[in-house]
Amino acid sequence: MTTNAQEAKSCPIPTRVLTLKDWSQLPDCYSQTPGGTLFSTTPGGTRIIYDRKFLLDCRNSPIARTPPCCLPQIPGVTVPALHPLGKLQELKEELEEEEKDLGDDSQFEMDI
Amino acid sequence: MNNKFDALKDDDSGDHDQDQGSQKDCEKEKNDNDEDDDQNTAKKKVCVSPKYNATIAVPGVGEHPLQYNYSFWYSRRTPGRPASTQSYESNIKQIGSFASVEQFWRFYSHMIRPGDLTGHSDFHLFKEGIKPMWEDDANKLGGKWIIRLRKGLASRCWENLILAMLGEQFMVGEEICGAVVSVRFQEDIISIWNKTASDQATITRIRDTLRRVLNLPPNTIMEYKTHTDSIKAWEDFHGLVNAVGGR
Repeated sequence: MTTNAQEAKSCPIPTRVLTLKDWSQLPDCYSQTPGGTLFSTTPGGTRIIYDRKFLLDCRNSPIARTPPCCLPQIPGVTVPALHPLGKLQELKEELEEEEKDLGDDSQFEMDI
Repeated sequence: MNNKFDALKDDDSGDHDQDQGSQKDCEKEKNDNDEDDDQNTAKKKVCVSPKYNATIAVPGVGEHPLQYNYSFWYSRRTPGRPASTQSYESNIKQIGSFASVEQFWRFYSHMIRPGDLTGHSDFHLFKEGIKPMWEDDANKLGGKWIIRLRKGLASRCWENLILAMLGEQFMVGEEICGAVVSVRFQEDIISIWNKTASDQATITRIRDTLRRVLNLPPNTIMEYKTHTDSIKAWEDFHGLVNAVGGR
C-alpha cells in the first residue's frame, strides 16, 4: 500500500448529549459491554460494583418503593408490632431472658 | 456464580409471559406497577406461594442487577427454650429474596431497623443458596468477623455493612457468604461470614474493608472467629458433644 504524504484530516468522534431528568431514562445499554459494568470494572473482571452513594440514590426511584410481594407478616419486623400490651409481654420476656441468657456470644454469666 | 447478564439479555416479550403466569400471587405488585407505569416496569420476579420456598428473583426491566441474589432471614429466640440445631433451624424464617438494587430497597424499606428490634433477634442477609447456619456447605470451613457495638449504632452500621456487601466492595471473589446483625440485651453485634477461615489474605482484606466502610467508633474491637471454634465454644458451654454442631 502506498503511503500518502498528505496528513489525513481529523474529525471529531460523533457524540450525542442526553439530558436525563430521571434514572429511568438511562438507556439499558448505556456504557455496557457484554460482561461489563455500568460504573466500574475490576481488572480482568466482570463484577457489578456499586458504591454506597449510588445505592442510596436508587432508593428514591418509584420501583424501589412499592412493597415486595410475598413479604411475610412478622409483627415487629415487617408489620407494626402488636397491641401495647404485647410490648409489655416482650419486656417481660427480655427480663426473663437476661436471667437465662446462655447465648454463645455472652461473655460472662450473671447470677441474679 | 450466576451470570446476571444472562437475565438482562432476555426478551421483553418473554418476561411478559412469566408475569402473566404468576399473576395471582403477585396481584398487589401488578396493581402497583399499573400506578407508576411511566415505562415498562414489568416485573420479572416469579413469585411462588411461600410454602414451596422456591422464589426465584430476577432483576426487573430498568432495574440495576446485583452481582449475586440475596435472601433476608429473621430469627428470634424465645426465652426458656433450649438452644439446639433443630430449634435454631425452625426459629429462622426467610423473609424474601432479591436480585436487584431496587428489589433490595423494596424489602429493606419495609423491614424494621435492627435498632428497633426487641428481644434476642437477628437479621441475616445471605447469598441465595447459602443458609445462615454453620452447617451449610458454604460455611462449614468458614468463619466470621464480629464487631460488638454499644446500643444505638446497630442500624447505621448494619446498613453500611450490607450496602458494602451488595455493592461488592469487599473484593474477595466468591468468599463472602453473608452478614448478620444480632440484637442482644446490652449490646449489638454485626458480623460478616466468609467461606474459608484459613485464607489469611481474604480475612485481612475483609477486615480492612470493614474499617473503611463502617466508620466505627475508635477502639472498637473486631474479632475473627472460625465457625468450628464457635461450635466448640457452644458445646463446651452447654456441656454437650454434638457431632453435627448446633447453635
